[in-house]
Amino acid sequence: MKRIFSIKRLVILVSLLSVTSSYAAPRVELFEIEGLISPASPKALTAELESRLKVKVVDLNLKRSASGWPVLSIEFDSGQITRKTIEQTIATIEDPAGHKYRVHTGPPMNNAPYTEEENKAIAMLGPVAPDIAVLTNPVDASNDSLGRGKKMFEQYCTTCHGLDGSGHGPAAHGITTFPRQLWVWNNSDSSADGYLFWYITNGRNEMPPWGLILSENDRWDVINYIKTLTKQE
Amino acid sequence: MASNIKPPRIRVARKIKKDQVFKVKVRFEHPSFTGLGQVDIETNPAFNRAIPVTFIRNMLVYYDDELVTRFNMTSAIADNPLLTFKLKAVKEAPVKVVFINNAGERWEVSKDIKFSA
Repeated sequence: MKRIFSIKRLVILVSLLSVTSSYAAPRVELFEIEGLISPASPKALTAELESRLKVKVVDLNLKRSASGWPVLSIEFDSGQITRKTIEQTIATIEDPAGHKYRVHTGPPMNNAPYTEEENKAIAMLGPVAPDIAVLTNPVDASNDSLGRGKKMFEQYCTTCHGLDGSGHGPAAHGITTFPRQLWVWNNSDSSADGYLFWYITNGRNEMPPWGLILSENDRWDVINYIKTLTKQE
Repeated sequence: MASNIKPPRIRVARKIKKDQVFKVKVRFEHPSFTGLGQVDIETNPAFNRAIPVTFIRNMLVYYDDELVTRFNMTSAIADNPLLTFKLKAVKEAPVKVVFINNAGERWEVSKDIKFSA
């Protein structure tokens, strides 16, 4: 009977199998990054990471992340490098201006809740209740109005309220009172119009009074657009 | 960041008469930063989150242990602010100023008000 496998071929096959089993498949993990402060920052970070650890930076999501922090997607061989190694390496890298990077841990926002003393002070001297008039939106929610509203929303509102109205915009971290989640107004009826109009016009706490910048029709266009926002799953 | 913060200092006029309106000046060395950066100026100039935000959130003023005013602040306030406000000298009692930052940390400084002849 003809031998199918010579001993030489068998040895080669076994050694091939042992090599392939020790090579783990590449995986992609996400890292929330602190320290991306200037235009040179992302390039400096990705170049250093790729050269030191032989990983591949797949994507840098600056503004559309759920938490508001920039998210770096890194592909690496999990058989050779661990997530912890990558985190430790990131902490040792500096950008050209000397700013350090760090992987963000903990909650998305670093603001502590109000202390008991502050709550007491707010209760004693706290904000005056708004005097909201009952109004109906005089601007139809046409495609033109929604288009204008979307443009203004992206220009003025997304910094705090986020692109999807989730309240997780990049500037939201600097605000003690969490920016409102605007998708709750999805398809609401005209009873919400006066309420939204008042808040956009007069602001509240850290929200600026946009009535100083946006005309009445502009504000109504923005309200029409806000009512189309939906909760992102 | 903690090393940038120094305890607040307070200054009031040396001679205050009863019922006189006097100035209180408070200096607090505390950083104030939105934490925003701009990494993609050319294609998308909107800001992105760079580092955690830090700022003085509230300044509470007590006169004889009674809360008289609250200054609600944001990161728009300058670094190391010098804050001035006025009070009416209705009694001889300490004026206490309390600072609380967005991390919930607290500092206070006080000065006794004594009437001059």
